[in-house]
Amino acid sequence: MTLTESATADPQVASAATAVTTSTPGSETQTLAQPFVTSDGSAIGRLFVMVSLLWAMFAAVIGALVAFGRSDAVEPAEVFAGLNAYFRMWTLYRVSLMLLVLLPLLLGVAMVVVPRQVGAANLAFPRAALAAFWSWLIGSVIMVVSVLAGGGWGALDGVTRNEGDAMALTLLGTGLVIVALLMGTLSLAATVIALRDAETSLLDVPPFAWSMLVASAVWLFTLPIAIANIVVVYADLRGRAAIAFGRAESPDIWLQLDWLFEQPAVYLMAVPVLGIAAEAVSAVLGTRFGRPEAIAAIVGIFALLAVGGWSQDYFTAPQDLRDGLVYVAFGLAAVVPVAALIGALGMQATQNPLKPQQLIDTRMIGAAAALLVLGAATVVGALRVIEPLDLLESSATWAVFHGVVTAVFIAAVVSMVHWSSELFDASVSKRASGASVLLVGAGGGLLVLSDLVSGFISEESDIMALALDGSVLLNVLNFVGSVTFALGIAAIVAAVAQAMRVREAAEATLQASTA
Amino acid sequence: MRTTALPAPVATRPRTVAVGSLLATGAAFIAFAGLVVIYVQQRQHARATGQEWFPEGSVELGPAGMMMMTLVLSMVTVQWAVQAARTEDRPHGFIALAVTLLFGAAVINQFWFVYADTAFAIDDGVAQLLFYVVTGSFIAMLLAGLAMFTVTTIRALMGSPGRDLAHTVQAAAIYWHMCVLCYFIVWYVVFINK
Repeated sequence: MTLTESATADPQVASAATAVTTSTPGSETQTLAQPFVTSDGSAIGRLFVMVSLLWAMFAAVIGALVAFGRSDAVEPAEVFAGLNAYFRMWTLYRVSLMLLVLLPLLLGVAMVVVPRQVGAANLAFPRAALAAFWSWLIGSVIMVVSVLAGGGWGALDGVTRNEGDAMALTLLGTGLVIVALLMGTLSLAATVIALRDAETSLLDVPPFAWSMLVASAVWLFTLPIAIANIVVVYADLRGRAAIAFGRAESPDIWLQLDWLFEQPAVYLMAVPVLGIAAEAVSAVLGTRFGRPEAIAAIVGIFALLAVGGWSQDYFTAPQDLRDGLVYVAFGLAAVVPVAALIGALGMQATQNPLKPQQLIDTRMIGAAAALLVLGAATVVGALRVIEPLDLLESSATWAVFHGVVTAVFIAAVVSMVHWSSELFDASVSKRASGASVLLVGAGGGLLVLSDLVSGFISEESDIMALALDGSVLLNVLNFVGSVTFALGIAAIVAAVAQAMRVREAAEATLQASTA
Repeated sequence: MRTTALPAPVATRPRTVAVGSLLATGAAFIAFAGLVVIYVQQRQHARATGQEWFPEGSVELGPAGMMMMTLVLSMVTVQWAVQAARTEDRPHGFIALAVTLLFGAAVINQFWFVYADTAFAIDDGVAQLLFYVVTGSFIAMLLAGLAMFTVTTIRALMGSPGRDLAHTVQAAAIYWHMCVLCYFIVWYVVFINK
């Protein structure tokens, strides 16, 4: 039996071989050097997706350990050998989820899908996009290694000279990661604006492309403000003695950056969720949404409410800003566009009786779960800004964060299933991706619930919510939620690895047949 | 032939380089604006609590005004280079580039003078730290602008005839004009309003 015969005996490999032949002409000439020299936007997007999924595994493990540290079984300082180390991991978990996992994951999917959706032959500035990937990867390694070496974004319990130096390195890594993501975002936005099909107006582009364009605008006009924060902190930290902003022995550095992980800025990750959900539901139903301009408007309004550079409270007294009308209005209004989209897609879904296979489709379940979790996160965000509830400085902050993270990750899984042939030239296992959606949804739900309930019960503000006040049950729920979330990530990583193996087998088949 | 048989006009899209340049320029401006906002907030806080921001008479307005004038002039020479690149006029293009580089160098030299004149140490206080952060970031942006402008202009002028690269010079010019706008903000916020 020849290699070709053995490979094509597997129908999955055979269909992938067809996809490889039709989608990537010349792929047989791929070499080990390709990731360093490619100017193919799809290949660069795949690199982002692969590496960000690996970082997702890392972040999930850190998250589970941090949750374990909050449980009653051990003291937080015992898990990571000291309070400073615990604080480092607590912050690393949040930063890595946003900058190493979710933003690059969405960017990667968009780099593959969006040019095709708008009729562009390739991504605009593909070399800049490749530079963005490698800068992001180098920056993320610098960031993580420096945190593990004693750096991080401040400390709670004094620092040594070496730890101060490591913190400077962490800031450099963080800055590099943000600049790289901005370069990739710029490349994507320019593709939609300048390279789309001549006959397609901006409002006619598919919902995902539109949501990525709008998200790109928010990212381009929000993330640079974090760079400004980092520049100020770095300049102070590297002085002979830090005088105000870069005091390494305090949590001040984190407090200057935490606005990025709190509402409204935290919603900037979630803008593409709306586009992915709209496309997935339409694809499963087999109908186009009747009022595409309504979807565009909903996505645009939500993006506007995610602009958050103005909401940092480190430089002013917190009550000046966060009790202000604008902050409260942003918090309350964010519920509206998500609810509107849920209503619009719900109406579309119920126009005709749903078939059972439509109801159990991973994309349908995932889109519904992502929107409902995002809706729940915005509702928690709305509760958080209602002053009498006194949730602003409580763990409810992290309930919003976890809700958004859960929604974005589920939407990313949906996108990987929906565009699996474009992304991987092979289909992603529906069973594994379905399990991933359910596990991530359940785990994220538990995290949101435990953080929110703790926020109501807790009487003291605590930036880390080191111990969830209330009961042992909450701490256990939080830990179980983190582990379940991690299992969900492992499921989709396994599914993607399987798809990539099928793709490699298909390429081998193709090479054998051409030889 | 009936006019209805004619093909539909092709929609014109902005050049990719121009779009990319606008987006990058916007992002750079936002980052710089973020720095200036921190500066203003800290100064307001200091004044509200009765603290002195800069020691009396330590920051002179004269050199800062000269820099403003120099940069305004550079906007003209930058557009001169863009026009020369469009018409593939090498002599004018190189003169415009040289004069722009001279203006840029003059501004950096003037900043050197300002730093020597004020004699601030970076860790003297919040005011001094932020003074160096804001002006230092501006100098870094200006150097990036000079490098970008030089490379694009030389590529456009030395490239093969007929190959239209003037839009790359225009893209660099957009960034340069944003730098001048940033300096206008520095001039007003840091030097005039001290």
